[in-house]
Amino acid sequence: MRWYRSSAAIAVAAIMAAGTARADITVGFVTSLSGPGSSIGIPYGRGMDAAYAYADTVDGQKIKLVRLDDGTDPSTAARDARKLIEDDKVDILIGTATTPSASAMMAVANELKVPMISLSPLKASQSSDAWGISVVQPPPLMVSVPVERMVRDGVKTVGFIGFSDAWGDLVYGGAKRAADAGKIKLVATERYARTDTSVTGQALRIFAAHPDAVLIGGSGTQAALPILALAQLGYKGKFYGTPALLNADFIRLGGKAAEGVVVSAGPVMVAAQLPADHYAKKISLTFFDAYKRATGQVSTNAFSPYGFDTWVLFLDAAKRALTKAKPGTQEFRAALRDAIFATKGVDGTNGIYNCHPGSAYCSDQRGLVLVRLVDGKWTYAP
Amino acid sequence: MTARRLRLLGVVAVALFALAPALVSPFSVTLLNFIGIYALVALGIVLLTGVGGMLSFGQAAFVGVAAYATAWATTAHGWSPWLGLILALVLTAAVATVVGSVTLRLGGHFLSLSTIAWGLAIYFLFGNIDALGHFTGISDVPPIAIGALSLGSGAAIFYLIWGVLIAAWLLAANLLDARQGRAIRALRGGRILVESLGIDAFRIKLATFVLAALLSALSGWLQAHMTRFVSPAPFDATAGIFYLLMAMVGGIGALGGAAVGAAIVTLLRNSIQDYLPLVAPGVAGQLEIVVFSVMFILLLQRARTGLVPLALRYLPAAKPAPVVDARPLPRRPQPPRGEPVLRVEALSRRFGGLVAVNQVSFALGAGEILGLIGPNGAGKTTMFNLITGALRADGGRVLFCGTDITRTPQRHIARAGIARTFQHVKLRPAMSALDNVLLGTYARTRAGFVAGALRLDRGEEAQARFEAMRQLRRIGLADRAFDPAGALPLANQRLLEIARALAADPVLLVLDEPAAGLRRLEKEALARLLVALRGEGLTILLVEHDMDFVMGLVDRCVVMDFGAKLCEGVPVEIRRDVRVQEAYLGSVA
Amino acid sequence: MNAQIAAILAMDGIATGAIYVLIGIGFVLIFAVTRVIYVPFGDIAAFTALTLAALETGHVPGTVGLVIGLAVLATLLEVAARLRARRLGGLPRAMLLTLVLPLVPVLAAWLAAGRDLGMAGRVALSLALIMPVAPLLDRIVFRPVADASVLLLLTVAVVLHFGLVGLGLLFFGPEGVRTQPLTDAMFTVGGMNFSVQTLLIVAASIVFSGLLFLFFEFTLAGKALRATAANPTGARLMGIRPATTSTIAYVLASLLAGISGILIAPVTTIFYDSGFLIGLKAFVGAIIGAMASYPLTAAGAIFVGLLESFASFWSSDFKDAIVFGVLIPVLLWRSLGFRESEEETEE
Repeated sequence: MRWYRSSAAIAVAAIMAAGTARADITVGFVTSLSGPGSSIGIPYGRGMDAAYAYADTVDGQKIKLVRLDDGTDPSTAARDARKLIEDDKVDILIGTATTPSASAMMAVANELKVPMISLSPLKASQSSDAWGISVVQPPPLMVSVPVERMVRDGVKTVGFIGFSDAWGDLVYGGAKRAADAGKIKLVATERYARTDTSVTGQALRIFAAHPDAVLIGGSGTQAALPILALAQLGYKGKFYGTPALLNADFIRLGGKAAEGVVVSAGPVMVAAQLPADHYAKKISLTFFDAYKRATGQVSTNAFSPYGFDTWVLFLDAAKRALTKAKPGTQEFRAALRDAIFATKGVDGTNGIYNCHPGSAYCSDQRGLVLVRLVDGKWTYAP
Repeated sequence: MTARRLRLLGVVAVALFALAPALVSPFSVTLLNFIGIYALVALGIVLLTGVGGMLSFGQAAFVGVAAYATAWATTAHGWSPWLGLILALVLTAAVATVVGSVTLRLGGHFLSLSTIAWGLAIYFLFGNIDALGHFTGISDVPPIAIGALSLGSGAAIFYLIWGVLIAAWLLAANLLDARQGRAIRALRGGRILVESLGIDAFRIKLATFVLAALLSALSGWLQAHMTRFVSPAPFDATAGIFYLLMAMVGGIGALGGAAVGAAIVTLLRNSIQDYLPLVAPGVAGQLEIVVFSVMFILLLQRARTGLVPLALRYLPAAKPAPVVDARPLPRRPQPPRGEPVLRVEALSRRFGGLVAVNQVSFALGAGEILGLIGPNGAGKTTMFNLITGALRADGGRVLFCGTDITRTPQRHIARAGIARTFQHVKLRPAMSALDNVLLGTYARTRAGFVAGALRLDRGEEAQARFEAMRQLRRIGLADRAFDPAGALPLANQRLLEIARALAADPVLLVLDEPAAGLRRLEKEALARLLVALRGEGLTILLVEHDMDFVMGLVDRCVVMDFGAKLCEGVPVEIRRDVRVQEAYLGSVA
Repeated sequence: MNAQIAAILAMDGIATGAIYVLIGIGFVLIFAVTRVIYVPFGDIAAFTALTLAALETGHVPGTVGLVIGLAVLATLLEVAARLRARRLGGLPRAMLLTLVLPLVPVLAAWLAAGRDLGMAGRVALSLALIMPVAPLLDRIVFRPVADASVLLLLTVAVVLHFGLVGLGLLFFGPEGVRTQPLTDAMFTVGGMNFSVQTLLIVAASIVFSGLLFLFFEFTLAGKALRATAANPTGARLMGIRPATTSTIAYVLASLLAGISGILIAPVTTIFYDSGFLIGLKAFVGAIIGAMASYPLTAAGAIFVGLLESFASFWSSDFKDAIVFGVLIPVLLWRSLGFRESEEETEE
């Protein structure tokens, strides 16, 4: 028994030593591989696979990627962040699939002074000594872009139905802001859970309020549930949504009822339809290619490109930070943070990134295009 | 290993532990911090579930109430975390009192199920309240500071967390060794036992529940200020179940099980996270929880009591504190010999269509032994339960020393001076013989939870121990005072119940079939003891089946048959009574 | 709220409740026979839905891997136990039960891969695939602790639920599924549209509850189950083997859960972890039935469905808080009946 145990220990130690000896820059990546956030977290992970296949060095320095699962639990995410920083001595954190978990990681990043790129929305205003940014488009923008379209389409009254979770809160917040600004009138606000079996009650409520359009604050497959319920009640108005609806199964399940839904989306989702001079065209095709190489599949989901974009942001910043300090030092972390906040005009699949200290977001309305579901395909609808 | 070397080892371990932040990697300190925080909740679960027998899946909700309270107070109102602590404790205690008042009246697994329900309900409330940041949560919670010293770093808060945990652990250990703690330990014996000792079972349950909630609150407060971020997910039902698992792994019956369980679960999760990717790259994240569950199921199958009780078996037992002479506890005045003590008037009780006790009357004078006899199914035990308040009468009255106790709750009857034993012995088998007898002194002593936890009760405790030892000596079990009651033979267990009843300093001793299952010599010893007690002026009501045992002992007999009183008289008359002979011979018994 | 809305909500609530009825009855059945509060029961329903969806899209369902793994494990345990006890006589029969029978639907699924079975074939195959899961888990997980306290069994069940959810994610992936409706037909009453699917759910719930009743009343196995529930020791003395009755109970309950999964799959999106909340709500119904009475459980389940439906109309944010919050007064009311009797706590 003893020889077995000691040789196993040696093997493990050797693997770990080999891992740390060669890599120069260490990236800590946390995502939700299990729990309710896994339908977002797993695609994020695949996006990271694609990113790592795209570039695993920067300026000749090898990059080591350490991945952890947070189980969609913020306290696990926080522990993961500490583990990555304190044990693996990462230079930067990337993660994770839900806002509470990403915020929990951000708290650790700020405390231990390690730069972080969040894959989920964060609180928009942050103090200027924060250590991280979010790669996603600001949620108010995700909502205001479709709201602008509503106004253009002549919609006056809007009903909202969204998940009873952090994502639903964010979309509702965006809708409320538009309503407070007088652009639309919110006539019904309803919530449902991802695991609910029926939304008839909520649909009736919305139906009774006769809104011109309904804004969907759900995500993925289950975002189709209220659309189907309202269609069954005979609702004839329009549906609008956010990038969270971009999901192959949503189209399959929504079927006829979901035809014509307008959502804001990262340009990558309609990359093939974009004009050739669009900033996102080239990088999106690069991403698709890398995704194919890394996973052997074609990317159709909306989440993997974000994972890829964090890498693009990181590579750009790391290149500049490498001129200032050596990886693995606190100086390098600080330089990397400064470099991230000094990011200017970096093209990504989901936006042109310009970061400023004091703001959690780097992309603007150019990061969102409008797409419409026509004949079961998302169609660019500028 | 000798006890001395063990103690030395313990001291070295504690010293090393105190130096941990300087010796181990920062992340190991982080893990230790989480272990400490989880152990606080698990400690509450040990008290509540392991000791008190109430299974809760909802402790995480209390962690959440406290975490949210302090996060809200410190971010929205800029309070100091210490004020946040007070708010967290007060609010949690209030919520626990309300929830406990409603759910603790439920018995058995209903209680456990309701804890899942309110755990979920509280979780959904957190996520829907504007001031609490909805499902997104509250960020930028400030760190705890002592004066100018900020406990923001993992190493600094390490001492606070473990200081709080060790203090809580010591207080809990003190409490369990004191009057109210023994009442908590008695809870698993069932409501009838607890109430028969004059203990308000509901109050003890509620107090235990609030205590466990307060430990969770401490954990929530530390958690909020350590992770600096609060959101609903860590407080949902899943988290509550994880806390329970920690307590079960460590050993739900032992206080040390809380910390050990928290450590094992936390470290196990961590190493699964480290090593699983080497074995199963690609699906490691999804497999984590599966591997974890498999390990747990194996543990529950192989070591149901948890690890600490297993380990304790191999360690030398702690030496119990010796019983020292002390001032005797004050005694109640006994009524003068011959004065009426108990009067039963036309008492009746029905179960559906069956009349178990039908219009039975009799009386009992001070210093008398009365035997209540009759064949099987005559209604003796029902009668017994009516007198001691374990059952409610449908008609008639019971007077005790001139006071009507027909509708008085059981525990008040016990406090008034009626002490009982049980036909099927109800001792706490894991508690020592001495502790079992100490339970009897509950109604004669006053120390509360705080006094017990802080050891302010030592004077009274010494008196109670002296009294309990006196009773043990009287029944001849002084030399086995520190043995677990469950290890004693049945005859001794019956005697132990009598000692427990005597420790309550009763006016009336009610014995339910004390001779059942005893051998002849044991019966004779029991009879001698009862005669001696009568000699001291005690009044005894004996419900018994065994005619020979009764006849040689009692002053008078009441014979019951089919729920009604057949006759009454001195043993010689009863023996001659034709109706009695018919009743006994005509029945199976 | 007008009468029309109330009617729609009531219809919706009854349909949801009908799903809970099937699962709730399964809870009671398993609890009565084995004393296990089978928390992962909702997961069984969700897995059936996921299996059906995989068959629809022409994939080999994840259930296949799950059943093979469990069957092999159960057989190994069985062989080990018999070797230790030196009783190899019953081995062929045990192997038939733990290895051969569960693998029959697996083989069928493998042969059927890529072929169109038609709706009925897919439903039947899904049910056949899910049925061995709970009995095999019983053999592996619960049999070794069958004599433990209710609380320990409950804890084991809770842990098992976590494990199953993890396996569900592994075998079925994180995406939700929704199957083709059994029927697209609609009918109109008072100007409002109702789907025939809804009616079908209610009808199936009634039919299968009825079948279960007939099974209990008129078959020997049913009577054995009832006897075991009423008096386990007595039943054992009469030669009823507890292992056999628990297997029957698990198979039956799995069938009920499977049917509810198939009924619910076209109505909503089912994820690998959807089972927990569905199960928990059905469970509230079972508690209303005191985990003992089938008719009361059915009534309780319908009540929960209605409550959920109306709560989602009144205040959708607090819907789940309302549904689980209402459990407490219900439990209080139930507990009133327990006042008089002394329940001995287990050591």
